[in-house]
Amino acid sequence: MKNIRNHLAAIIVAGTAFGVVPAHAEEFLVGSEVPLTGTLARVGTGMKEGIEVAADVFNRRNGKHKVKIVTVDDESSPAKAVAAVEKLASQGVVALTGGYGSNNIGPASDAANKANLVYMTSGGVDENLSQRGYKTFFRINNTAGYSTAMVGLLADMGAKSVSIVTSTKEAPADLAKDVEKILKAKGIKVVVHSFDPAITDFKPIINKVKLQDKSEIIAMVGYENDYVGIIRAAKVLKPEVKAMVGVWSLATAKMASDFPDLMPNVYGTALLPYPAEFKTAEGKEFAETYKKLFNKEPDYLGQFGYVQSMLLFEAIARAADAGTLKTGGLPAELRKSDKETLIGRVKFDDKGDNPFFSHRMGQHQSGKVAVVWPKDSATGKMNFPAVPW
Amino acid sequence: MTELILQAIYSGLLQGGSYALIALGLAVVFGTMKVINLAHGELVLLAAYVAYAVESAFEVSPIVAIPVALLVVCVSAVLVYFLVDRIQKDRELNSLILTYGIGVMLTNAVLLIWKADIRSTKSAWLQDAVVIGPFYSMRSELGFFVLSLVLMGLLWWWLSKSWYGRAVRAVASNRDAAKLMGINPRTTEIVSFVVAGILAAFAGVALYSYGVIQPPLGHALTVKAFIITVLAGVGSIPGVLAGALLLGVVEALTVTLLSSALQEIAGMGLFLLVLFLMPNGLFGTVARRG
Repeated sequence: MKNIRNHLAAIIVAGTAFGVVPAHAEEFLVGSEVPLTGTLARVGTGMKEGIEVAADVFNRRNGKHKVKIVTVDDESSPAKAVAAVEKLASQGVVALTGGYGSNNIGPASDAANKANLVYMTSGGVDENLSQRGYKTFFRINNTAGYSTAMVGLLADMGAKSVSIVTSTKEAPADLAKDVEKILKAKGIKVVVHSFDPAITDFKPIINKVKLQDKSEIIAMVGYENDYVGIIRAAKVLKPEVKAMVGVWSLATAKMASDFPDLMPNVYGTALLPYPAEFKTAEGKEFAETYKKLFNKEPDYLGQFGYVQSMLLFEAIARAADAGTLKTGGLPAELRKSDKETLIGRVKFDDKGDNPFFSHRMGQHQSGKVAVVWPKDSATGKMNFPAVPW
Repeated sequence: MTELILQAIYSGLLQGGSYALIALGLAVVFGTMKVINLAHGELVLLAAYVAYAVESAFEVSPIVAIPVALLVVCVSAVLVYFLVDRIQKDRELNSLILTYGIGVMLTNAVLLIWKADIRSTKSAWLQDAVVIGPFYSMRSELGFFVLSLVLMGLLWWWLSKSWYGRAVRAVASNRDAAKLMGINPRTTEIVSFVVAGILAAFAGVALYSYGVIQPPLGHALTVKAFIITVLAGVGSIPGVLAGALLLGVVEALTVTLLSSALQEIAGMGLFLLVLFLMPNGLFGTVARRG
């Protein structure tokens, strides 16, 4: 018996010395800094749901390592976001996933970088975020992916003139600038109407589109409340446009069910049609877990939160196995990721951006959302010209 | 261009009517108690969410929710009063902190109960376009604009003709002298909070009927109401109406003639300009010295 124990001990010592014995199964604390209150509460909550689904799926799928999520509400405020990151760092998290709004993500990821913690997000598309040269900053989406999709759809429509109605908030303003630049380069007439996020009555803007711009398309770059205001104003004034095209948070199940009279024929970015059709095994597992945990259909926010977190958890597991997690090996491990995910291919460049990110465009049709662009991913035919009124 | 400007003025007037309804409640309480109720916007928001709850639960028009909103918001307003009334020292200053805290609590209560999603009425009838000559609006906008004028008329009548209304004015003017005349200031203050609650209830249902609501909105409503109250001159009902309409029109004209990005700056610019030229507001009276 003693001999057997001695042999076993010798094997373990030798194995450890030569690095052939896998690292211990561990539970890793992962920090989640998201806005659960304040102006970004809705999107932050959506992202948090995706993060929780990712943790659930990872813990079931990965027999060895587990992750535990510690969530801190950043209250939609940059200062609170920094405080949240510092608090999570002091609790010993190995990395952070979350963040919404470029103005919050900027300082929060600064704080994470100072603490040498990986910060993974999908909630901010400001170009400057990935230009800071941080090796700890990672993002799965970017402005280019949204502008490519919007411009691609407008090109397929054969638009000759577009009025862009955009919020002055950082992310929409950046995207609108990108779209304007690309459309102008294509010889399309573009008029931009920037609006303050506090605006509630869009009739004076839509009246300018109707009487002055006389554009064929209204391109909306803002958030849910802005879209509702813009489309309502357009329904009242009825400008002679051929389509209403938006971006994020528009071609969603929630908008279809909450605003059935406003949404018909409206376009927006959409990763999936609605009702959601997940064709891959991972997609099906995500959808089932999401429904189990939250008793509702998954949405795009959950999907982004899931993808960013799953990539992070997998990299944490790999780094732990390689024994580099505690020696700052996580960023390098993340850069090795190259995976087909629920949002398409993700591979990080040296700035932590995902150059393969490209969105799709969906259209509200009879209470559902059909993906209509690009053609190879389309699940339905584009209704064009068509407006909600 | 004329068509654009006319529509901008019309839209601005309708928007101003909505602002007036929100600001009046704040003005009434400020006038009576010299208390700036920083939770007033949240009371308006509460009424809006009550309208949402009633509409979604019973599939009825949000207008049907007005009695429920009145009850919920008036009770909440009285509760706010009882909390403010417990302040023993420096009521004007301490009530700011207290009502701000109440506002934060109300916002979070709304968030907990109704979640962070944006909400707005599903009633197509309220959103239908009403076209009068060159003027376009939603039915709900026009309807609630008329209602806000009626409510302001009733408030003006109540303050100038009814016993309680005159008592409110007396307390606002000189609390100690009002006491000597047999007026119970506490009852009068409760009445003014109830009146503010009534106005907030109508304003909230109106807001839900033509706008989009979400939990953080309350604070922005309070700020707008405060600007209008100061712009108007403290204690002036016609001033609140004029200030609100002026603000609405200036904002809409800024969008039409300059840029929609400048709308809020234009409103603040007007506020500063009026205060610079008329420190007591548009309809405020100069404080007596000595």
